[in-house]
Parts: sequence; C-alpha cells; structure tokens
Amino acid sequence: MTELITARGLGKSFGATRALDGVSFSVQPGRIVGLIGPNGAGKTTALKALLGLTRFDGELSVLGLDPYRQRHKLMQDVCFIADVAVLPRWIRVSRLIDFVAATHPRFRREVCEHFLARSDVRKTSRVRELSKGMVTQLHLALVMAIDAKLLVLDEPTLGLDILYRKAFYEALLNDYFDEQRTILVTTHQVEEIEHLLTDLMFIQHGRLVLNSSMDAVQDSFVEVLIAPERVAEAERLQPVYRRELFGRKLFLFEGVARERLATLGELHRPSVADLFVAKMKGAPA
Amino acid sequence: MDTNWNDSLPIYRQLRDRVVAMILEGVLNDGDPLPSVRSVAAEYRLNPLTVLKGYQQLVDERLVEKRRGRGMFVTEGARRALLKDERQLFLEEEWPKIAGRIQRLGFEPKDLLDALDKMPPEPAPSLSAARDDAGEDSGEEGERD
Repeated sequence: MTELITARGLGKSFGATRALDGVSFSVQPGRIVGLIGPNGAGKTTALKALLGLTRFDGELSVLGLDPYRQRHKLMQDVCFIADVAVLPRWIRVSRLIDFVAATHPRFRREVCEHFLARSDVRKTSRVRELSKGMVTQLHLALVMAIDAKLLVLDEPTLGLDILYRKAFYEALLNDYFDEQRTILVTTHQVEEIEHLLTDLMFIQHGRLVLNSSMDAVQDSFVEVLIAPERVAEAERLQPVYRRELFGRKLFLFEGVARERLATLGELHRPSVADLFVAKMKGAPA
Repeated sequence: MDTNWNDSLPIYRQLRDRVVAMILEGVLNDGDPLPSVRSVAAEYRLNPLTVLKGYQQLVDERLVEKRRGRGMFVTEGARRALLKDERQLFLEEEWPKIAGRIQRLGFEPKDLLDALDKMPPEPAPSLSAARDDAGEDSGEEGERD
C-alpha cells in the first residue's frame, strides 16, 4: 500500500447543505499537504472525516483503515492539533505529560521533555498560567513526541505572533518531519507555508478546485506582467485571472507554454495567495 | 517571512545560486560540508524536497558531492571551476553592457582608473581582475592617441 490517504467521492451533508460534495484525492507518505479554502468551504469537515470524528458518505481510507470504524487503531499513528486550544486549563504541565504518557502508546516522554526544555514552558505551571504562544509550544511538544505517521494541523498558528509562528514551522521541519511522515495542514496564512508545501489542495463549496503537487502548480501556472502593446494578444490566450499593478496588467495563465508567455512580458511565479484568489473567483472568460 | 525569494526563478535554483555565491566568496571552501537538508529546510521554512532539488542540481554540476552517510561536501576544485565560468559569463554578458555604458558616458580609461584609486580598497580586486581580461575590448575603444 503506497497511498497514505485515499478518498473517493467523499460527501457529508448538514441538512440541506453539502459540506463535502464528492471529494476525491490521495496523499502519499512523506508529503506536506496544504488544504486551503475560505471559511465554510469544508476544510474542517474533511479533516474530521479523516480523523474518524464524523460519519461520511463515499470511500475513505487512512493508513489502510476506515477512520470511523477503526478510529482507535488509527489514532495510534495519527496526531492532531486543532485550531481551538483543547488542553484543560486547570491541569499542570507535568500531570498533562503523565496523562498523555499513560494514554498514548507511541508517546515518548523524553522527547517531549527535551522539546519543553527549549521552550518557555515550565513543567510546574498550570495551563491557564501560560500565554497563548506557550500553550502552542506545549501542544506541539506533546504532539511531536508521538511517533505518528500522519500529523493533521488545523490552523495551528492562529492567534500566534510572527516569532512563534516561525518557530513553530521551524520545529516541525527540524524535529518532526521526515520522509516517513506526512503532514496535512489547513491555514489562512497561506503565505507563510507556501514554500513548505509539497502538495496543494483548494476546496470551495465542498469541492476540490485544485489538487496538485507544488511542482506541477509551478509548471502550469505562470503570472505575466504584460507589456502594454501585448495586452490584446495576451487576452487571446485566455488568462484565468487578471489584475492590475501600478497601471500594468498582470495575467495569470494555466497550461500555456512558458516560451509563448515569455514573448508577452515578464514571467513571475504566482504566490499561493494569488492562485487562491484567482481560483476562488473562478475564470470569467 | 524574513527570506525574500525572487518570484521569477524557482526556489531550488535560487538555493543553488546562494551556495554558488558562498563558494565564490570563499564562505564555503573546497571540501567543506554543506548544511544538512533538514536544517536548511527548517531555517528557510522550505519543504525538504525543494532543498534536495537545489542540492541535486549542484551535484549534477559536480560542484558538490555526496559522501555516503555523511552528507554533501564542496567538491575539490569547485571554486576554480566556478570562477572560470563566472569570468566567462562576465565577459560575455555583463562586460559588453558595462563597456557600452562607459562609451555612452564618454569616459576615458584614465578617468576610470583614477576613480578606482579613490575607491575604498575592498571592491578593487574583482574590478581589476575583470579589467585585465577585458583588455582587448577596452583597448579598441580606448585608441585615442
């Protein structure tokens, strides 16, 4: 079995709303996958389905298991950081470590203590005495100490300042990620993870509108700062998105040869944020 | 957040260029180890595949070699090879532009040499090295008396 996650026709309704509407994708081991979408697009529902926290229609296999039916087994190899801090506020850090050590078979206490020793978190503190950044450090130390194959992060850096956000991803890459491990992350702060990702998925109204490796994204999407006299010619190549910058036109093209585009103006690599806006607004011809 | 990547070149290519610049500047010498893929990825918050691709490019160009189980090292003679290429590139691409501009501005070689003497000493070596090699070009344009 090479695929870590396979989803076929994944669906989920809340009343009349289709939160997930026939989503199909697969994830290979050793990848860092970004699942990006506006609020209410179905990101969290998709993650919940993967983690076995909700029922769903369609086929879904995570590490070869059915997440809903085999959740207990699955959880030995999966860890998760949610956007809402879920650590009980009254507990002491040392007791929390004892708790995780007692409940999770893959938890490595010495690894957790090693991470905490480098952070500002003291083991004698209670969770409520920690700042938001420190709670995240604690959460990350607990989760990274679990020897899991899949790490799911749902808005992991929400509300953190830039230094903590930077440190968070640095720790993740330095101390956690390797070719055996897979990270699935959702975030609104796309610009800070775009170079981190190996694969990109955009979700809108419960459907995937983009599902591609970053290499393929960079091959197929090119932004061109169009030379003024080339605008009409550029229009004929049907850009998928148009914007203006200081009176110059910037067109985004999908699947047009770079050599062809190079005759129209200056080529740029679109940022994931630009791609996202373009894809969400659709492509008015 | 603190690294500004240029958006007209792939990042792996820019990483390759950085290592090349470090070799040329003597920050990395022949036989020196390159930082590990993991630490570069963490420091720049890049996915490790990107870093690996940049390193692989250097391996393909024989500027860097893999030593099994020990990581990547600058190949013996890498700096010399690079310098040769860089000098060639300068003569073919940059020097004609600079020479053209010198001509348009109407400088005589003496003006430029005098200006060079007044410059702080640090940038001088690279300039004079290029001047020696470009002697032919500037010689033609400098036939004044």
